[in-house]
Amino acid sequence: MKRPAPRTMTLARIWLQQIAVLAAKEIRQLLRDRALFIYTVYIFTANILIAAGGASNELRDAPVRVHDADRSVASRDLIYSFQEPQFRLAGEVDSPTEALRLLDRGEAQMVLDIPSDFEISLRRQQPAHVQALIDTSQANIGYLASSYTARIVARYSEPWVQRNIIRAGGDPRQLPTIKNELRVWYNPGLDSKWFNTISELLTMVTVACILLPAAAMIREKERGTLEQLLVSPLTPLQIMLSKLLSMMLVMLCGTAVAIFGIMMPLYHVPFVGSVPLFFLLAALYAFTNAGLGLVAATFARNSAQVGLVVLLMVMPIVMLSGTWTPMESMPVWLRGLMYFSPLRHFIEIAYGILLRGAGFGLLWDSVLPMAAIGVALFALGLARFRRQFT
Amino acid sequence: MGQAALVAAAEPPLVRVDGFVKRYGRRSAVAGVTLDIRHGEIYGLIGPDGAGKSSLMKAIAGVLSFDAGSVEVFGTSLVSEAAAELVKDRLGFMPQGLGLNLYAELSIEENIDFFARLRLVPAAALAERKERLLAITRLAQFRGRPMKHLSGGMKQKLALVCTLIHEPELIILDEPTTGVDPVSRRDFWLILSEILHERGATALVSTAYMDEASRFHRLALMFDGRVLAEGRPQELRRRVPGVSVQLRAGRQAEALARLSSRFAQVQALGAWIHVFAQDLDAAAADAEIRALLDDIPLDEMSSTEPELEDVFIASLHQKTAAPFADPASGQSFAAVRPAAADGAAIEARDLSRDFGDFRAVDSVSFSVRPGEIFGLLGANGAGKTTCIKMLTGIIPPTGGEGSVGGIDMRRAGRAIKQRIGYVSQAFSLYTDLTVVENVRLFAGIYGLTRRETEDRLAWTIANGGLAGYEDETAGSLPMGLRQRLALGCALVHRPQVLFLDEPTSGVDPVGRRQFWQILFHLSRVEGVAILITTHYMTEAEHCDRLALMYAGRIVADAAPAELKRRVAEEAGGLLEISASPVLPALALLRGSGFTDAALFGEHIHLLAADADAAGARLHQLLSQAGMTVGHIGRRPLSMEDVFVHYVTRLERGEAMQ
Repeated sequence: MKRPAPRTMTLARIWLQQIAVLAAKEIRQLLRDRALFIYTVYIFTANILIAAGGASNELRDAPVRVHDADRSVASRDLIYSFQEPQFRLAGEVDSPTEALRLLDRGEAQMVLDIPSDFEISLRRQQPAHVQALIDTSQANIGYLASSYTARIVARYSEPWVQRNIIRAGGDPRQLPTIKNELRVWYNPGLDSKWFNTISELLTMVTVACILLPAAAMIREKERGTLEQLLVSPLTPLQIMLSKLLSMMLVMLCGTAVAIFGIMMPLYHVPFVGSVPLFFLLAALYAFTNAGLGLVAATFARNSAQVGLVVLLMVMPIVMLSGTWTPMESMPVWLRGLMYFSPLRHFIEIAYGILLRGAGFGLLWDSVLPMAAIGVALFALGLARFRRQFT
Repeated sequence: MGQAALVAAAEPPLVRVDGFVKRYGRRSAVAGVTLDIRHGEIYGLIGPDGAGKSSLMKAIAGVLSFDAGSVEVFGTSLVSEAAAELVKDRLGFMPQGLGLNLYAELSIEENIDFFARLRLVPAAALAERKERLLAITRLAQFRGRPMKHLSGGMKQKLALVCTLIHEPELIILDEPTTGVDPVSRRDFWLILSEILHERGATALVSTAYMDEASRFHRLALMFDGRVLAEGRPQELRRRVPGVSVQLRAGRQAEALARLSSRFAQVQALGAWIHVFAQDLDAAAADAEIRALLDDIPLDEMSSTEPELEDVFIASLHQKTAAPFADPASGQSFAAVRPAAADGAAIEARDLSRDFGDFRAVDSVSFSVRPGEIFGLLGANGAGKTTCIKMLTGIIPPTGGEGSVGGIDMRRAGRAIKQRIGYVSQAFSLYTDLTVVENVRLFAGIYGLTRRETEDRLAWTIANGGLAGYEDETAGSLPMGLRQRLALGCALVHRPQVLFLDEPTSGVDPVGRRQFWQILFHLSRVEGVAILITTHYMTEAEHCDRLALMYAGRIVADAAPAELKRRVAEEAGGLLEISASPVLPALALLRGSGFTDAALFGEHIHLLAADADAAGARLHQLLSQAGMTVGHIGRRPLSMEDVFVHYVTRLERGEAMQ
């Protein structure tokens, strides 16, 4: 009879080896789960491309309809001040009624109504009026349209004002004016693709970091393999760590592909700060979110349920953590609540390192709360892990 | 043969299936089946999972298209969906799965009403039928209870009522008795017979239990999409000539090896050995076995007519002896057992477990010695799985204590878990990993060294018959192989205690026998203590000791032969009576004090003290009532008889209190 070979491995080495074996299994399973694998590849590649090219909250090519009752040189000058890329002249209308109809049907973003005494008023040095009717059903776009319009009209009236001052015997150059010297930092080209792709990446990283470990855990639960693991000498900590580490690795690879393979070469998104620091903190972020996913998996009984639970968690996190809208525009109580959202802190970190080149010295007040949330969630998941079987 | 059957044979068949072929993608599920079902009979389809039973039944019910051949129901050929619609009114179909076609939140009555409205049953007819069916099934007093709170047997009866509410002429029942406890199963068969008789309807019923063959008038043995044999149960048993021999010999493992060299079907059943001596009569078999055993002392030997399972396996022309059944091969794989192996390997002391208000396991106590195969036998929901989960430390008990190697499982550390092997229900393998990857994964989990891992991998592949399947994913393996892979993974670290939770569900008889041979070897040669649960009554005979579980309690605990002996002592021997007409005969017998009389197809089984004298008395009783009595003969007690006896005794005791 053959005796088992004497154990030369220390317990600690076995402990780590068990985690490694399980983590390798997780990755292998992910590669074989065609649907989940394609989904994972998609969110780090095609999805970033779509975010860069598609969704934009700038004002672009807004159709402008004009009702020009004046038909003068002055009115034509004003009309042609509305130019691309913000506006696009979509033609004239014969009557204000027609203009309203087009607004109602969404065929015009804005209707510019110029009265018949426009040029005469200007020449007589009297106030001239124009009316702009703006569709603000999309508040953001409407707001932009109205402010651009105000700026265009103000610029248009400037030479008329100067002419009037000269005519009154004054020198416009001596008038006290404020010259606004704008310097755009961190995104000098004001390229919204930078912001959009980073936001999309952060959103997708959040989804992946919650969903993948949750899916890995629920898969074991559904197929009964989890019980097999519980009967083995593995501890719950090892089981959870193996899921966490493997999915963290997947997420870091995906992030690297998205940043170095798509965002930097295609959209020239800068990577100003330290690459190792970014990936180290991204790993910490993955840990924090995996805790959330693993907690979700202890409450759900099957994949469908865990999908719904994850959806419920991800929506508010993504909407309210400042990815797409600034934190400062939210009510104070919500801002306080969002302090517990890991994404809120990771946004500071990601934009800080990528665009501003921030180091740990600047980011610690985001890193510490994120780490604390992660440890708390992981501990909760661990506590729930045993209890879900009793 | 009864008069009714003769008349029926002359009529055109109710269902005619000819050259039926069904494929799912490239996989062929049914490969050319031809059979007829006659008016008024209970026709059985017997076979393991994947034999093609469900596909065939669904096609006959008109809910599944097929690839070749023809299916004719009530004379209408089911060539299109429109044709299928023509017959659907006249048939009832109950799909597989306990109560899966019912609505868990609805009460018994709401479920029945729902199906009745679906079938456009007029209100007056519904009221009358509902009362009648509820009375027959004895569900009337529970009519307001939600379906989810019913027992397995009650769910099955409710499903039957819902299938019958529109009074179909043909009812198709897909595995209605799988996982149902034997008492409820007997009840179910009786109710089905009564209803069919009363209404003159016909039934097509499938089952995975070979021992249910005697419930049918005629049946088809199915395997791998084909019909192996078809006919009346008695005819099928005689299809392969030979006798079934039970013997007890010293040096069991050696005896087994010697017999395996001559006979294709040899298996160990606890302390017994079962041999199917094909083509031999009783005397010749006796002589050959004695010659083979030679110097091995023979304690007992008797022969009976072959079991259907023997016939089934003989029809497949397969040798069932697995390679490692031969202890002379010298390959050995269990760990060296510690000296303290004399004590109990597994022990349950007053183990209880509540789920909310429901007590799943109620003060269960037993112990398993090293080298012993201990069986927990019971229906779905009897508490077997909960017991195993407590003993493996997956869930903590509400009360009592479960220990392995003397250590309480609630405080089980790494050392004790390293000594346990566990195969959970439905073989929880990683189905998306290959055979090799699964074994390596579990080797890694148990911290085996690289050399140990390669050793165990080679052992699992060789002894599990997995050669050639190394790189197949576990999910693509046939059930039998999957089961042996699961066992291999559970044995990768050479455990001394093995827990197996319904490891043979859905596996074909050949695979089941091979599996039992591995277990036998593990227990006898390696001294592994094995705790196994099953709902196959016939499988229980393989165990050294058996605990019958019912509603969370153990109702009896002894060796299978001892259990049978006790029942014979308490209630007498088993008599088989063939009388016509059979249903009134059954009613008469039940009314005359034989309350345990049960219907098996065209026969009645009952327990009678002093069986020979009772036979004459029964003959007289039935003849006086004007019934034709065929034969009355003794039959060996089956484990199902034992189970039913203990449960009814328990229930009777409780009713008196």
